[in-house]
Amino acid sequence: MAARFAVARAAHQLSSSAARKPSAFACQRWQRPAAMMVVERRLFSGSAAVREKKYTEDHEWIEYSADGKTCTLGISEYAAKSLGDVVYVELPQVDLEISAGDAIGAVESVKSASDILTPVSGTVVEVNSTLEQKPGSLNKDPEGESWIAKLTVEGEPEGKMMSKEEYTAFTEEA
Amino acid sequence: MSLARRALSSFSERLADPASKVQSYISRSRDPYLNLSIEDHILRTSPPDSTVLFLYTNRPCVVIGRNQNPWSEVNLGILHAARQGKHAPMDTEPPAIGDVDIVRRRSGGGAVFHDEGNVNWSITCPRTQFTRDKHAEMVVRTLRKLGVDRARVNERHDIVLDQGLKRHVADPQDTHATAYTAHEGGPRPFKVSGSAYKLTRARALHHATTLLASPNLHIIPQYLRSPAKNFIQAKGVESVSSPVGNIGLDIDTFQERLQEEFAAMYDAGAKRLTVQTVGEEQLSIPDVKKGYEELMTDDWMWSQTPQFTLTLQPYAGVDMDINVHHGIIKAINAKGSRYGTDVLDKIRPALVGQRLQDVGDWHTFLRSRIHPWDDGFDILGHHLENLIPIPKLTKS
Repeated sequence: MAARFAVARAAHQLSSSAARKPSAFACQRWQRPAAMMVVERRLFSGSAAVREKKYTEDHEWIEYSADGKTCTLGISEYAAKSLGDVVYVELPQVDLEISAGDAIGAVESVKSASDILTPVSGTVVEVNSTLEQKPGSLNKDPEGESWIAKLTVEGEPEGKMMSKEEYTAFTEEA
Repeated sequence: MSLARRALSSFSERLADPASKVQSYISRSRDPYLNLSIEDHILRTSPPDSTVLFLYTNRPCVVIGRNQNPWSEVNLGILHAARQGKHAPMDTEPPAIGDVDIVRRRSGGGAVFHDEGNVNWSITCPRTQFTRDKHAEMVVRTLRKLGVDRARVNERHDIVLDQGLKRHVADPQDTHATAYTAHEGGPRPFKVSGSAYKLTRARALHHATTLLASPNLHIIPQYLRSPAKNFIQAKGVESVSSPVGNIGLDIDTFQERLQEEFAAMYDAGAKRLTVQTVGEEQLSIPDVKKGYEELMTDDWMWSQTPQFTLTLQPYAGVDMDINVHHGIIKAINAKGSRYGTDVLDKIRPALVGQRLQDVGDWHTFLRSRIHPWDDGFDILGHHLENLIPIPKLTKS
């Protein structure tokens, strides 16, 4: 139900300093060989999915599983920083069917409600219930432990999807 | 020419017109569900680079934040006191106050009381230009121009009236301090305006109350103090209660001066900004109508509540925890002696899996579910009706 009320969420300008944070480049580089191997195997099997974190203009990220059938969704470090202290995370219900562009949850911080959007269609298979107990952990590790939901994926993501480098440039523009 | 003008004559079209960079609206409706839905329509359809002021006043209602628990934040049992006649008449003289609506808004924050002495102002602006204080500061400038020199923006982004003694000369340009700002331990300022926000990718909505001349100040705490507060452990957002006060300004004067301040801030006085009036007729816009109906659904009001646990002691020596998730009773656990198991064996199947919003009156509900009935269950019904009543929402 909540999803229908939603519009979008994100982070942009609230703290311009957040944009300048060096972010997880080291981690990114470390991940790349694995990601590229998956790409190569994919090319063989003909799938287009790439196992690398991709970012939306709404400041969510998705990362596909090795078989490309499911993905993990979360909000970016940039978003988590600019929202301020998170006091509540509204998670979707497991088995919820979702369409790209839907709000699948919401975050509340400093009297502000912001929606979490999904760039992919599919079904919610798992939610990170830790966030219900400890919403503040979303500020600490939004791109790791504090993922929001895991989804089975149908079709391609909608809207512009950016690599880490592209996304960092995008947040610095704003 | 005349066709073109007519094409832009509808509210929706003018609102979405890319050339309308600064817009100002006022509602003549007193319906909180409608005003919030018009506001949401403004947030979602005004041009991305526009800034829009919207003023509205609601009939008496309690408005809770998106992620709040109505049972622990609001004294739901007295909302329809006059109609139900179940509770003792309240001290409502003068004036008498009738039904009070309960509304869950889409923005964050805590619970507030609205009535005809309260003006709500809302600003929708680009995300890139948004700060949580910017428009509260605009309102403080308006208030100070009207002679309210105790007004300032506090650290919670609300507007308060300082109650300290005049101590020093304050910078009139500083909207965060006054000559009456007291040191810690001094008289507490009165809150006169509370802020909440809704953020989307490109847009930010800041809306807030402004207590100008509420005749109900003395009873606001009764509505915002729940008998269940100490029995509910809730996820989500808890209200921060503050002493409130009236500013004591004429509503029309305040609205006009605020509209002028807004126009001056964004229009630089180049051309006179016309204020457009909206109301019931906006229900003909499908998007407004949809939002309006959604706000009045039991799903949004009750089942949107973050998970919570209600702890009861219906029978001597029994502590009963009722766990509610997405508005549905998920589990009932009890610690205690004597009545423990056999009572629970009857209660569990009657309650687990039940959506609260479908219960109606607890006494009637329990009687329809528990067989054979034992008068002892009346105690449970009494506790539930007292602590987690589910009043009917107004369908206007």
